[in-house]
Amino acid sequence: MSLVDQARAVLLDAQTAFAGTDASALDEALKRLDGPLRVAIAGKVKAGKSTLLNALVGERLAPTDTGECTKIVTWYQDGHTYQVLVHPRDGSDAVQARFHRDEGAIEVDLAGLDSDHVDRIDVTWPSSGLRKLTLIDTPGVDSLSEGIATKAFEFLDPEDNDTPADAVLYLMKHIHSSDLRLLEAFHDDSVSQPNPVNAVAVLSRADEIGAGRLDSMASARRIAKRYGQDGRMKRLVQVVVPVAGLLAETGETLTEWEFKALRELGNAPAKELEPYLLSADRFVEARPETPLTSLEREQLLGRFGLFGIRLSLALLRRNVVDSSVELADELVSRSGLVELQTLLTTLFVDRADVLKARSALLAVERMCNEHGEVPESSELLLTIERIMAGAHPFNELSTLAAVRSGWIKAKEADLADLERVLGASGTAPWQRLGIDESTPPDGITSAAIEQLGRWQRLAENPFTTHDLVTSSRVVIRTLEEMITSATTPANS
Amino acid sequence: MSTSAVNDDVRACLELGVQAAEAYKRPDLGDRLHHLVGQVGDPDVQVVVVGEFKQGKSSLINALVNAKICPVDDDIATAVPTVLRHGEEKQAWAVVSPVTDGAPPPEGSEERRAIPFDQVPAYATELGGVDHTLHIKGVEIELPRKLLSEGLVLVDTPGVGGLGSAHATAALGALSVADAALFVSDASQEYTRAEMDFLAQAQDLCSTVVCIMTKTDFYPAWRRVLEINTGHLNRLGFNIPILPVSSMLRAEAVRRNDRELNRESGFPELVRSLTGEIVAGANARERERAKITIVNVCDQLSGQFEAELAALNDPERANELLERLEEAKRKSDTLRSQVAKWSTTLNDGVGDLTSDIEFDFRQRMRSITQEGDAAIENSDPLDTWAEFEPWLVNRVSHEVVSNYRYMTERASALSADVGTHFGGDELLEDLEIHNPTSVLEGVSVEPSMDLTETTAGKKGLTVLKGSYSGMLMFGVLGGMVAVAAPVLPFVAPAVGAMMGRGALKDEKVRQIAKRRAEARNSMRRYCDEVSFQVTKDSRDTMRRVQRQLRDHYSTRAEELHKSTTENLKAAQEAAKVGVAEKAGRLRDIEAELGRIRGLRTRAAELPAISPTAQAAAQPAAAAAGGSGA
Repeated sequence: MSLVDQARAVLLDAQTAFAGTDASALDEALKRLDGPLRVAIAGKVKAGKSTLLNALVGERLAPTDTGECTKIVTWYQDGHTYQVLVHPRDGSDAVQARFHRDEGAIEVDLAGLDSDHVDRIDVTWPSSGLRKLTLIDTPGVDSLSEGIATKAFEFLDPEDNDTPADAVLYLMKHIHSSDLRLLEAFHDDSVSQPNPVNAVAVLSRADEIGAGRLDSMASARRIAKRYGQDGRMKRLVQVVVPVAGLLAETGETLTEWEFKALRELGNAPAKELEPYLLSADRFVEARPETPLTSLEREQLLGRFGLFGIRLSLALLRRNVVDSSVELADELVSRSGLVELQTLLTTLFVDRADVLKARSALLAVERMCNEHGEVPESSELLLTIERIMAGAHPFNELSTLAAVRSGWIKAKEADLADLERVLGASGTAPWQRLGIDESTPPDGITSAAIEQLGRWQRLAENPFTTHDLVTSSRVVIRTLEEMITSATTPANS
Repeated sequence: MSTSAVNDDVRACLELGVQAAEAYKRPDLGDRLHHLVGQVGDPDVQVVVVGEFKQGKSSLINALVNAKICPVDDDIATAVPTVLRHGEEKQAWAVVSPVTDGAPPPEGSEERRAIPFDQVPAYATELGGVDHTLHIKGVEIELPRKLLSEGLVLVDTPGVGGLGSAHATAALGALSVADAALFVSDASQEYTRAEMDFLAQAQDLCSTVVCIMTKTDFYPAWRRVLEINTGHLNRLGFNIPILPVSSMLRAEAVRRNDRELNRESGFPELVRSLTGEIVAGANARERERAKITIVNVCDQLSGQFEAELAALNDPERANELLERLEEAKRKSDTLRSQVAKWSTTLNDGVGDLTSDIEFDFRQRMRSITQEGDAAIENSDPLDTWAEFEPWLVNRVSHEVVSNYRYMTERASALSADVGTHFGGDELLEDLEIHNPTSVLEGVSVEPSMDLTETTAGKKGLTVLKGSYSGMLMFGVLGGMVAVAAPVLPFVAPAVGAMMGRGALKDEKVRQIAKRRAEARNSMRRYCDEVSFQVTKDSRDTMRRVQRQLRDHYSTRAEELHKSTTENLKAAQEAAKVGVAEKAGRLRDIEAELGRIRGLRTRAAELPAISPTAQAAAQPAAAAAGGSGA
């Protein structure tokens, strides 16, 4: 029985047991178990949350602006029809709201409702980008308006509830000490340790790091790597990646007109154009004989940013790209979005079942603790514990968390291998074993057997610390399962 | 360093005054003026550049002085304060002290050593580590630049809020002794809460704050951001201008020698604000002080001649005059004596002050420990200690700086109180109250072992001990679930789970309580140590201030006494002068008085702002008016 099935069985049992009480949390958990993985996009004001959300969906849905823009927690999920639901704060029924699109972005008409009185907005939107992930846009946490900041905090670190998201992308410009604080808030509240397995940090405005120099992304990668190795970050997130949000969004939603306009600019002599690329003001207010009108240039600047324009012009001039499709691809690949998407797949989507089952079991556990008077609750708690302890994926995740929290002392190289086998960089066998993707099944088996031997020796060595022995045993079991499923493909 | 021509007029007046004082045998008054000659020439206006990390502070300074001095990097940030002042030649020094592993460095071990100019970035950045046996405390640079020649001193500070950056202590300390602060934030977004909080602190500590918005070349929407930020400032009632600049455009403008580009960079306005308002403002205060002193000295010098003149001119009323002069002398005698009222005011005042300041400090520390206790009570220190510690250090340094600020205010008020006994002018203004943050440097928070990483491992181990058995050979190390279930194969799983669960829960509760107690102890130890050091330093400071005030005002009393004695003597002698000599003497006195009065008038008519500075300031006012939009 798969983990999700086990969790579902427990949930159904719990629903029967708690039939008399307010069991809406269980209904919610059941719905969540069958839905796509929920990924929250969090961060401080103006970290570029909505921009990245649009880039991930591949469509401009969330409105973006120079000032603080997102004020309400907004869920974007896939569905058959276009629909916007507004959930009021006082707990009354959600109302369907009218909306219109402003240059693509969805502007919701709250029909006179003050944004302070809205708990959240649900946007249902048929989109392939939302099929595997439900994305949740949150207001900035460092907001100057007290109410907004509280809202985001309540969402990410609710006092009485499990966080509604399965995983979090935490966006930051540079890592500020207050970013750490928020990240710390987003951890499993039933365990005293922050949990780095379901969070990824994103350096979201990577194109701004070098103030628009063409090598900005390389700089951003270097910085992300350094942050990723910082002990405090390691304890909080799995990995730090740079993404140029604006570039990614524009690349994903590039229009033919924009491409033509850029080409027109690119056709002008480089020397003539150069003084106008010095600053944003200069670009907009360039002399009338430069291509395009001032208004059109301003529009381009808003979409690409100075870095995007410089980059696109360089790409066009060097004939690296020759069509809007090529330019869009190039922009997206240079923005770091592809790496982020791969990461989301390996870290979250492949593991979605484990994460969702965990959320479901936690929901039942809380219900049992709250309603200890229900006779079945102790029985249910035991079942949960049995599942939790027996399910190897949970053990992998918790050992991984322990390794990343710096609890286990071992050689750097051993720790790195430990993390890898446990699935830190992906759960496919070749990723866990650190071998080539095209390795045939028997190659995988032999590699697994070889590594198994090493961990077994390590576990039996009397000088190995107790913690490391325990972790090694988890690794051994992972490898054993890998070997079994490789030799008996019918069961996999 | 006094290469500036700005205060030549004042200096000339002062030097004339010195000559006059010597000619009239009043070296005491001469010394006073002489002392001022140096000060007026070298105003030393400290402008501290502060802000969050990675906002372009170092680029701003580089662009201001047109040299690559402060290190600029995408990643690595400035780590120590860098002080830039005028000098005839390019030179750089590092202020270093030996690394002592936590113990406060021995007194006087700090050393200022010359370093090659191109090594400045290595010394000033987070990388640091040129020599690991040395602790780098700061970098000082002298540069031949016109901008700095009028006494402007620029201080680049480490950014606040970064992962690797120092606590805000350094920036706060620098602020508390600065004449002005430039608060730097880039145009990428409106002010954050952290920035507004910091700005409020800066406003509190420093009289002149100017906001600088950098990187306007890169962000098309900087005007919107400027507008939003102005709104934020207005809402809080801060009357602070925001100057938008682009260091990149400025550097490019200098490279191409392009005036138009320089104008677009916004730097001309910044330079005008620096030289025109900040430096000139500090300068004007210096000038005002010099003026008052000269006028006062002239009045004292002319006193004896006026008395003599009056006695010569009107022998009938000489007695009346003598009586008046004797009365003045008696008064100055009392001022000079040990039991003078001013000295009582001073002694009482210092006593009150010391106890008020200590009370204020204790209050502040108490509120910190209360807040700290509450925070510890609401969390598990194992998770939060890493964050709690910097919070504690920052809170403490802020409170200490505020306490010293309060001390400065109160001591100045006391000086004014004492000054009323002397007619209220020539107050002592430069009280020797130093930046207190150096006191804090030697004190560090020492968490007990349990709050550091080793315990995390130990805790993991304790959990593992209970859960190791058979097939399910490990417990939950802490990542996923609240319960770690040691399911023993021979016991009914249910019973095993129940037992394991209960034992673990108790263990957990016990450990958290233990850690909380330890966290509280660490906090108390730190606060106690800080209190001890600060109280000692604050008492020393008060004693120093008291001595300084006493010396200042007793010198004043001494001078007054001498003047009144001279006046009386002159009048007495005049009364005895014969008719034959009278005419000659009268002429002499008129001539002397003419000279002194000439000097007095000249001093009194000195413009508040020096003519050269005024010329520079005028366009600034016009430009500032225009840039408000």
